[in-house]
Amino acid sequence: MGFEKFLFYVFAAITVLAAGMVVTRRNPVHAVLYLVLAFFSSAALWLLLEAEFLGLVLVLVYVGAVMVLFLFVLMMLDIDLATLRAGFIRYLPLGVVIAVVMAVQILLVVGPGNFGAEQFPTPAAAAADVSNIEEVGLLLYTDYVYPFELAAVILLVGIIAAIRLTLRRRPGTKYLDPTQQIQVRKGPDRVRLVSQVSTAGLREEQGARDVAQSQEDGSA
Amino acid sequence: MHFDAANLLPILPEIAVLLTAAIVLVVDLYIDERHREVIHGLTLIGLVVAIALTGVVGGGATELVFAGNVVRDPLADLLKGAILVVSLLVFIYARPWLRDRGMLVGEFYMLGLFSILGMLVMVAANSFVTVYLGLELLALSLYALVAFDRDSSRGAEAAMKYFVLGALGSGMLLYGISMVYGATGSVEFGAVAEALATQGMENKVLVFGLVFMVIGIGFKFGAVPFHMWLPDVYEGAPTPVVLLLGSAPKIAAFGLAIRLLVDGLGSLQADWQGMLLILAVLSIGLGNVVAIAQRNIKRMLAYSTISHVGFIFLGLLAGTEQGYAAAMFYTITYAVMATGAFGILIILSRKGFDAERIEDLKGLNERDSWYAAMMALVMFSMAGVPPLVGFMGKLLVLEAVVRIGFVWLAVVAVIFSIIGAFYYLRVVRYIYFDKPEEDAPALASSGGVRVAMSLNGLALLALGVFPATLLALCQSVFGA
Amino acid sequence: MLENYLPILIFILVGILVGVGSLGLGYLLGPRRPDQEKDSPYECGFEAFENARLKFDVRYYLVAILFILFDLEIAFLFPWAVVLDDLGVFAFWSMVIFLGILVVGFIYEWKKGALEWE
Repeated sequence: MGFEKFLFYVFAAITVLAAGMVVTRRNPVHAVLYLVLAFFSSAALWLLLEAEFLGLVLVLVYVGAVMVLFLFVLMMLDIDLATLRAGFIRYLPLGVVIAVVMAVQILLVVGPGNFGAEQFPTPAAAAADVSNIEEVGLLLYTDYVYPFELAAVILLVGIIAAIRLTLRRRPGTKYLDPTQQIQVRKGPDRVRLVSQVSTAGLREEQGARDVAQSQEDGSA
Repeated sequence: MHFDAANLLPILPEIAVLLTAAIVLVVDLYIDERHREVIHGLTLIGLVVAIALTGVVGGGATELVFAGNVVRDPLADLLKGAILVVSLLVFIYARPWLRDRGMLVGEFYMLGLFSILGMLVMVAANSFVTVYLGLELLALSLYALVAFDRDSSRGAEAAMKYFVLGALGSGMLLYGISMVYGATGSVEFGAVAEALATQGMENKVLVFGLVFMVIGIGFKFGAVPFHMWLPDVYEGAPTPVVLLLGSAPKIAAFGLAIRLLVDGLGSLQADWQGMLLILAVLSIGLGNVVAIAQRNIKRMLAYSTISHVGFIFLGLLAGTEQGYAAAMFYTITYAVMATGAFGILIILSRKGFDAERIEDLKGLNERDSWYAAMMALVMFSMAGVPPLVGFMGKLLVLEAVVRIGFVWLAVVAVIFSIIGAFYYLRVVRYIYFDKPEEDAPALASSGGVRVAMSLNGLALLALGVFPATLLALCQSVFGA
Repeated sequence: MLENYLPILIFILVGILVGVGSLGLGYLLGPRRPDQEKDSPYECGFEAFENARLKFDVRYYLVAILFILFDLEIAFLFPWAVVLDDLGVFAFWSMVIFLGILVVGFIYEWKKGALEWE
């Protein structure tokens, strides 16, 4: 138990420090990397809670995908750091006051009297063969099937909104359509026969022009 | 596990809306540009079917389905019906505006339908999980809709503000929910209420969670001091989106408040009464006073919304069946009024021109006296002039507040609504006593819009003169 | 419960050791003769033309967000695959509806051309 507690405090401290760095770093890319660290240590906290599946999903989805998105977004924006800092400094006093008030309130409430080990005793540890992912599955697809389907609808809204807001056709781009490319048939699509004026005709024309030329020369 | 198909009955309206959205999506992809307007018809048919289904499956005793995640009770039936009817009007009004600007595309209808689905889910939720998912579905669709006009930088700015503050509000709500879940060990409202009844009110964690939940509700309603997003979003978003955003979601937010505060945390009423009291007084005061200074009519209506939200909170904080019924009556009738007001703004707009200044209403009477009359009805009703329904709503709410002994509160509310009457009447003055601007063309309107607007305006009069039916419905919901 | 993580801990330690060890050895043993040209930034041997932080196209964002949405969908498949045997036909159909809703979204993005790079 002692060592678990120690680990908890280590990971909790890393999470809080990393979160603090996220909001104070000058360079947004560094901020995102600290956010990755915060997610990793939160995942470790979830592992300590024996919520292994959720911990791993947190790493997979947030660190693997959401952070990549954040980095893309950062690279899309032309962030003017100076103006950002100006706003930060201007609103800092107000922000600090609100943060302090909230922190004091939280400390008052989340003290040992209300949130201590007596009120929320540690549940018995699950047996080694209990699968966390199975427990999630047993509830998610039965009792919580309605919220589960709603999640699909929310993802669908995400797809529609993202495409509507960012997909634009660029008229000037040169673009090869792969479906057209693979539909090419052997005969008429690959070889185009161009009807060509016969060489004999060309020569005649050339001859006529030579005659005209010599007449011009003669008259001059 | 065995699944009982009876579970699906109470959510038939939701299924109808979801299917409509899916059909609109697919049809929109494959249909020819010239027949694009078919999706409008499909959407209206879907909504009418959903209204019919709400009536068919509605009524009768309370049912819990999907393992207690969804409830079908008179409250859900009535709110669903109101949301769907108001949304029907919204889509009818929105069509000419969208068509004129080449924005009559499937996405508006899909996202609109999904936001309606989110509202329906919210008002029929019986657990924190469902209520939150419904709220997010509504909010995500609305964020995208506010930025719907992709070439408008004002729209993008409004969407960004709405998104950031809305996400903050949702985060607060979720934090509060997690506290309550931690203290009670359940996400289902019935179980939460039971746990509260047995363990008593001593638990500070609960109160703490409640604070965050009230903040979340305040954000979603746009109550002062969580109102900052509202005027900017109303100003920046395309008018049909404001129409959608400013009407039915208020009904859904009322459902959210009732589900969370009454169904879930009813026994903490003494705690949330004080919080709602502050929000209500600030909203009524600030909303009415700041609205006077607005030159942009969308901003003016935004501040007017804030003041009406204050009145809704007055009914809620009474904590009695009578108060809830009054707040519900007020919310539903307010949604109808807001629909009418923004509908008129859309009618006044035309290609390349959006009615945004109060001056744009000048001489509406000379341009079209019928629409002028309807707008006057809406304004008088919002101001609370008898015999219109806005007066009835205010009267009922104030009566409920006086009954619990808060006479001073009623007096404050009355004073501020008298101050507020000024800016509504100013609009009426512009409509009737000013000349129209010289280049103002005649108002074009297709038949559907005129019929809908007439029904909308006359409903305000009819409900004001004969409020008994709707009021009885509202009261039967809360068993008063 | 923590003892189950011992192999993972050893794995991480060995991983760190290999990574840090090779870097450290290179640092200690490698010859280092820096001069100004070596330390200055360059592009393919030229002087740097512009700031390295250039703006990305918004299309990357679209690809990334569509990836995330389907990534989340996959996350829901894991527990489903584990419990499908126990729950049987009910869980099967609940997932079919879930996927069905997302297939509608997939049709939308395909037909709209969001998967094309032009």
